[in-house]
Amino acid sequence: MRAFEYERPAHLDDALALLSRHGLEARPLAGGTDLIIRLRDGTIRPRVVVDLKRIAELEGQIRDNDVGITIGARTVMTDIAADARIRRDFPALAEAASVVGAVQIRNRATLAGNVCNASPAADTAPALLVYGAAVVAYGAAGVRRVPIDEFFVRSGVTTLARDELVVVLELPRPPGRQGSVHVRRTRRRGHDLASVTLACAVSSDGITRLAYGSVGPRPILVVDETGLLADPSAPEQAKLRRLEVLLVDASPSPRSMRASPEYRLAMLELLALRAVCTAIERLAGGAAA
Amino acid sequence: MIAGRHRIDLIVNGRARSIETAPHHTLLEVLRDDLGLTGTKECCLVGECGACTVMVDGLSVDACLMLAVEADGATVTTVEGLAADGRLNPLQQAFLDHGAAQCGFCIPGQLVSAGALLAHNPRPTRVEVEEGLAGNLCRCAGYEQIIGAVLAAAASRPDA
Amino acid sequence: MSDRTVGASPARVGGLDRVTGRQAYVADVRLEGQLQAKLVSLDCARARIIAVDVSAALEAPGVHLALSAADLPQPVPRFGPQFQDRPVLAVGETHYHGEPVVAIAAETRDAAEEAASLVRIDYEELPAVFTISGALAPDAPLVQDPSLRPGDPLAATNILREHHFGWGDVDAAVAAVVVEGTYTFPMVTQFAIEPHGFIAAPDGDGIVIWSSIQHPNWLQRTVAGVLHLPLAKVRVIAPDPGGAFGGKQHAKYEPLVAFMALRTGRPVRLVLSLEETFQAVRRGASEVHVRSGFRSDGTLVFRDIDANYLIGAYADIADRTVAKGSYTSAGPYRTPTARIVARSILSHTTPSTAFRGFGNPQQIWAVESNMDEAAHALGLDPVALRLQNLARPGEVFIPGDTPADGDWARAVERAAEMIGWGSPPPPGRGRGIAVGLKSGPTTGLSYATVRLLADGSVIVNAGTSDMGQGARTIFAQIAADELGAPLDWVTVIMGDTAVVPYDQQTSASRSSVFMGNAVLRACRQIQDRLRAMAATLESVEESAVVVDHGEVRVGQRSMPIRDVLVRGLGRLGGEIMGIGEMRKEPAPDHPLGGTAAFFEFNCTAVEVDVDRATGDIVVTRFVTVSDVGKALNPFQVRGQDEGAAIMGLGHTLMEHYIYDDAGRIRNLGAIDYRIPTSMDLPLRIESDTIENADGPGPYGSKGMSEGALLPVAPAVAAAIRDATGVVIRDLPLTPERVWRALRDAPARPDRERGEVPAP
Repeated sequence: MRAFEYERPAHLDDALALLSRHGLEARPLAGGTDLIIRLRDGTIRPRVVVDLKRIAELEGQIRDNDVGITIGARTVMTDIAADARIRRDFPALAEAASVVGAVQIRNRATLAGNVCNASPAADTAPALLVYGAAVVAYGAAGVRRVPIDEFFVRSGVTTLARDELVVVLELPRPPGRQGSVHVRRTRRRGHDLASVTLACAVSSDGITRLAYGSVGPRPILVVDETGLLADPSAPEQAKLRRLEVLLVDASPSPRSMRASPEYRLAMLELLALRAVCTAIERLAGGAAA
Repeated sequence: MIAGRHRIDLIVNGRARSIETAPHHTLLEVLRDDLGLTGTKECCLVGECGACTVMVDGLSVDACLMLAVEADGATVTTVEGLAADGRLNPLQQAFLDHGAAQCGFCIPGQLVSAGALLAHNPRPTRVEVEEGLAGNLCRCAGYEQIIGAVLAAAASRPDA
Repeated sequence: MSDRTVGASPARVGGLDRVTGRQAYVADVRLEGQLQAKLVSLDCARARIIAVDVSAALEAPGVHLALSAADLPQPVPRFGPQFQDRPVLAVGETHYHGEPVVAIAAETRDAAEEAASLVRIDYEELPAVFTISGALAPDAPLVQDPSLRPGDPLAATNILREHHFGWGDVDAAVAAVVVEGTYTFPMVTQFAIEPHGFIAAPDGDGIVIWSSIQHPNWLQRTVAGVLHLPLAKVRVIAPDPGGAFGGKQHAKYEPLVAFMALRTGRPVRLVLSLEETFQAVRRGASEVHVRSGFRSDGTLVFRDIDANYLIGAYADIADRTVAKGSYTSAGPYRTPTARIVARSILSHTTPSTAFRGFGNPQQIWAVESNMDEAAHALGLDPVALRLQNLARPGEVFIPGDTPADGDWARAVERAAEMIGWGSPPPPGRGRGIAVGLKSGPTTGLSYATVRLLADGSVIVNAGTSDMGQGARTIFAQIAADELGAPLDWVTVIMGDTAVVPYDQQTSASRSSVFMGNAVLRACRQIQDRLRAMAATLESVEESAVVVDHGEVRVGQRSMPIRDVLVRGLGRLGGEIMGIGEMRKEPAPDHPLGGTAAFFEFNCTAVEVDVDRATGDIVVTRFVTVSDVGKALNPFQVRGQDEGAAIMGLGHTLMEHYIYDDAGRIRNLGAIDYRIPTSMDLPLRIESDTIENADGPGPYGSKGMSEGALLPVAPAVAAAIRDATGVVIRDLPLTPERVWRALRDAPARPDRERGEVPAP
């Protein structure tokens, strides 16, 4: 790969100053599992790589409080997948984290990095969307809290400013009980990029939240407030019709190598239905508040 | 533009090493080219095949996806560091006993990944072994023998 | 005396180095003063090279060489195992995505990469052909300059060769049931975990080449030819390949690095990236039309096959794969009459080369799928249909060739038994069965030398390439058993043409037979000498001495070989040498140049679960049975058979190159070219062997390692059909393809075996 300078700031302000000073010629480095691939294939050619992993203010911890759970920017997928609180209260996120690449990738890849990378196929994005996560960023303008649905713009693009860094991700505890799940389609059972990746949460108030990725330029959240999807006794055909309406914005790329648009849309509908079923089961099975 | 060189200090297979490296060199390149530890292999270089798996601070990682400079201060173990005092570790012995190595190219990575798996989960089920090794491709496809060796090594460990 | 090792499974010789990281593959070799090389190619399938400007590259620090065709001897040397068509560097035009135009040599990899990026190539993209229909279209651009094939009536087409095999008169055959279909096999790549690597270094007035080449002597000949050097001045050192599967049989960039080494006076090292490796080697893709005729009782009447193989821009050994794979394509059956036409069609793509199965998997996919369709059309059980038509041991099934050399029916019965063919599968699942046949080598020559040293330890020199199949271990076992040495007292030296005698090649699953016999014969020669030595020492006739493995027996007395050696060699010391040879001469009148030394035969039976909603296939059970004569090392045999099976599942379920509409490969590298991982295995895989000691190799062995890959795809497709009723004739059977087939098929209920579907 092309040569670059390497900075390893010890403090957030130093990191931000570097990013500010070098602008487009600087790239932040977290887990490296996306960045290093792009450095190698030359799709990015920064002058400076800013390693975030020694920044004192950035944590690799998962903490919980009254409001919910916070995931430090340096937290890796392995820890998210294994965390008992996330598995209990936000299982779709734990499930998604557990299928990002293989073990070696999960030991390095950070959730914050995954979110900032903004791949439309990111497995963690649908879960974050259904859980109403928020990105807490820190920059020259101070602290900014951005709901995740406003964070993703399109492939590779977020609303994070150049001179901002993600500090934590917040997952608010849902007001009532909910059942949730992550599902996806891949080309093999072994680790793979998803051709459809989807999370669903059904809450005790009858609201169903569905988010899906890899079927368009950014992951999309849809909400069913009619109560139809959440109703265990509603007929499948009715649910499919409702899903058809909800999923209307899905726009799979015709150029994709992984699956054709037709297959993707069919699988999206299928997975959505299956996910709704599982979420209902999990809700009934007593998912914790 | 010529980038600066950085000095990194790390422990590799139990030995303190101090190396000057360019920032854009990966840990894999530094291990192989600067330290002469060619047991860790280059294959896909995109973190898919696991041929470059090493332990860094107790976690199995793809050395191709780490810059060497990121390993400053780290403790690294490669396949060459598995046999203590010239004696094969139980996994290495199990791999031999079960015929797990055919061409052998994936084996260093498999051994490191298997070691990480057993350190974390001393009595894995077969499915857990399959998942734990999914990041290590074997084209000779000696998977059955590799998995058999890992399960045998796990079974032979004295109970904690 | 040591226990016999042949037939047992002693630990792999070379295993210790593999588990400690000490095994030195070609990329691990470091030579003093070596330069690093980097190739420059164009991002298109075909282009006219207008101008090459390396001036900026040459000015970059650390750069020693920026070589293009213009810098090579003119006309640019060409090489290739079948045709001398491949230039050392692209001349005037590039013919496939990844064909190198310039080669850089620099002090470091960074410098080489930097210099490569500074090379300016002015080019014009040209229309390319990369499909069979595209290549055969009347106005298709020609891949190969017609002047390279003077006098060839096909020179003005992209058909490199058209092969005709067969016997009898297919058109006169009368059949009650005719089953026909067209079956396609995708482009796939070997994806050995070790990318290709090559090193060349000047060596006095000669040169040394390091390459993980399967055929060191052949490479020696190629490089000597290109450099105009005598063979004795070209040394090939061949480290064990980190997987090869045929992709490392023939010269690729060794001639190039040889020129670079001579030009710079320094060793030059070129290690390809995985992406470059995918651009360098692959299997031939194919479209095979099969028409088979049967009597109503299931007896095969005729086989009529028309096959198009899409090979690459240069022939490499691809045309031979087409010929060999097609010649036996009628199958291991009693076939009264057959007509086989097979074409090698050039295209602007990666040159296809040898790949486990050597042209057979493509035909077997077609013919065995066709057999399964025939079974359904005839209302016969697929196992019964095979058993009814399989050639029996000793039966001639291809006129003019070796008769059936194994109890193939037994392999089929065993596979059927193991999968429980007689009883219905669990609900929703389906079962399929298929057989595969491949000719072993048709000619061959292997020499081996064995040296029995004064203390009874042994050195074997054998030129086979051990790429994981365990050849080294086999030869050690043979020598150990024949000469009574413990296995760890045997050293096997391979992979160095300066030290090891001639071996034609490592391919066609030949080495246990050819080199094994050479080693065995060398040992027998040593035994003869021991007999003479003992006769002299004991003052008896030679005929009174028996040498049996580690013992020398004279009358009632027996003594270890070592005792005889110590006394016989005396104060001068020394050793006893044996030379062994196995040779199979060509038969010039034979369509393949020689009859089969043996056949590989395998029967594969699978059970699958199909998720009808998604098209996902889970192989719940996989059974593979190979006819091996004698398993010299059962562990290794099992590893090879199960490995071949899983590799076969790769092209069956997930592998394929994806091209854009300009002929560029889109899925280079490991992210979008999917191969089976540890999580993609059959839920239960079992293998067995039929061992009747009926092979020509040591102790009645035959070659093996390719057989178990051959019938995987048709067995899986047959199982899918059994489960769902859909017939799919195109690979890979990805979830999407299966989903589509299910969706497009006429609705039908699940069928329990033996029941007629409800109207």
